[in-house]
Amino acid sequence: MDGKPSNSPNSFIDQMVVPGDVVLDLSSMANQTIKLGGGLRQESDAISVMKAGKLKFSRPNKYWVESSQKRYVPCVEDTVLGIVVDSKAEVGSLLYVRVVKASAGMNPELSCTDASGKAAEFGLLKDGYMFETSTGLSRMLLSSPTCPVLEGLGKKLSFEIAVGLNGRVWVNAGSPSTVILVANAIMNSESLSNTKQKIMVEKLLQKFQ
Amino acid sequence: MEIDRPDGRTRNQLRPLACSRNILNRAHGSARWSQGDTIVLAAVYGPKTGTRKNENPEKASIEVIWKPRTGQVGKAEKEYEMILKRTLQSICVLTINQNTTTTVILQVVNDDGSLLPCAINAACAALVDAGIPVRHLAVAICCAMAGSGSVILDPTKLEEQKMEAFSYLVFHNSVLSMLPEGSLHVDGEPMEHGIITSVTHGVISVDDYLYCLERGHAASAKISDFLRRSLQSHAPSDPSKAA
Repeated sequence: MDGKPSNSPNSFIDQMVVPGDVVLDLSSMANQTIKLGGGLRQESDAISVMKAGKLKFSRPNKYWVESSQKRYVPCVEDTVLGIVVDSKAEVGSLLYVRVVKASAGMNPELSCTDASGKAAEFGLLKDGYMFETSTGLSRMLLSSPTCPVLEGLGKKLSFEIAVGLNGRVWVNAGSPSTVILVANAIMNSESLSNTKQKIMVEKLLQKFQ
Repeated sequence: MEIDRPDGRTRNQLRPLACSRNILNRAHGSARWSQGDTIVLAAVYGPKTGTRKNENPEKASIEVIWKPRTGQVGKAEKEYEMILKRTLQSICVLTINQNTTTTVILQVVNDDGSLLPCAINAACAALVDAGIPVRHLAVAICCAMAGSGSVILDPTKLEEQKMEAFSYLVFHNSVLSMLPEGSLHVDGEPMEHGIITSVTHGVISVDDYLYCLERGHAASAKISDFLRRSLQSHAPSDPSKAA
């Protein structure tokens, strides 16, 4: 169970790590600047893991742990789906907004326009169906290249989708059966690998078309 | 001298472990941990802003609520809450999320011996499921003195009642490390040799206690492996089991 004698971090990158694992030994990396993202902390000369997840590395020097939670922590420039609770706008309506300001303890500030002031698909979402998932699934749906679930569904069905990084997904389509099909396919794809997702989508489409 | 245990286990054999995470819809993190027939359900809510009156607002605080299977909450439950609170406070990173309260609720589903260690393991898995930052994981085990210096691990309720003494021990999980020495050291000894919590019932001699620690530490490696496998599985809602 002890670490390997080589000090290259390649042995842990893209591996699942557990809190307490020491992933980087700083004493062997002098004169380098490293950027630590979420889930990692520094303990004197070692970088250890705080959250369970997959260790990621992006050139030249960024390390972070990708983990999936139910609870969302607001982050600037994230796009999220929210439901209006205040009386100034229509209570109960679903909005696709962007986070402008976010700090611990305060409610985040949201905006219905993008950074340059244009509307750009933000704002009210009418009809359709919204469901909740984990933050990890939202990130997967928004990743590029398009994730296999959406690609497979998009080839045979026509639907609209809005994904919020806070774990909420909105789907709209011509008929309710399409909406239910798309929603269930997405919810089932959380833990599947790329090939398994393709197989799942094919099987689902075969049954209903 | 080999002791015959009623369920046929050897002295150092643990009961089958099972862990499922993300089982409650509303909780931010949840886990169900079972050791044989002892089952505990843990739910984590938070971090929520604000701390209680007696807590330090410069740190995150942890609140533990213990719900017994039947009956009202009494002194024993309050004691469990206090032990759990101190254990969890030592593993969580309290300097992140200042001035917040994280609530951990434990529900005893069935008690067949070794209840507090089962609860600690469940609470730890639930904290990880909720994404609360923790320094390392806690692995708990119960060791009982069977008389004449022999120790049995993970006793059932019947076995616990017959023993002269038993102790609940909580250790660090075993970690994978990039460091050449293997893991972080404190005062020259690896962190993993340290003990987080120890609760003892009954009369036990010092030598016997040290022997208990040794046996418990060896067994904690097995539980640690199981915990690692169950946290790494991609489908958090699927149960992972180990015999």
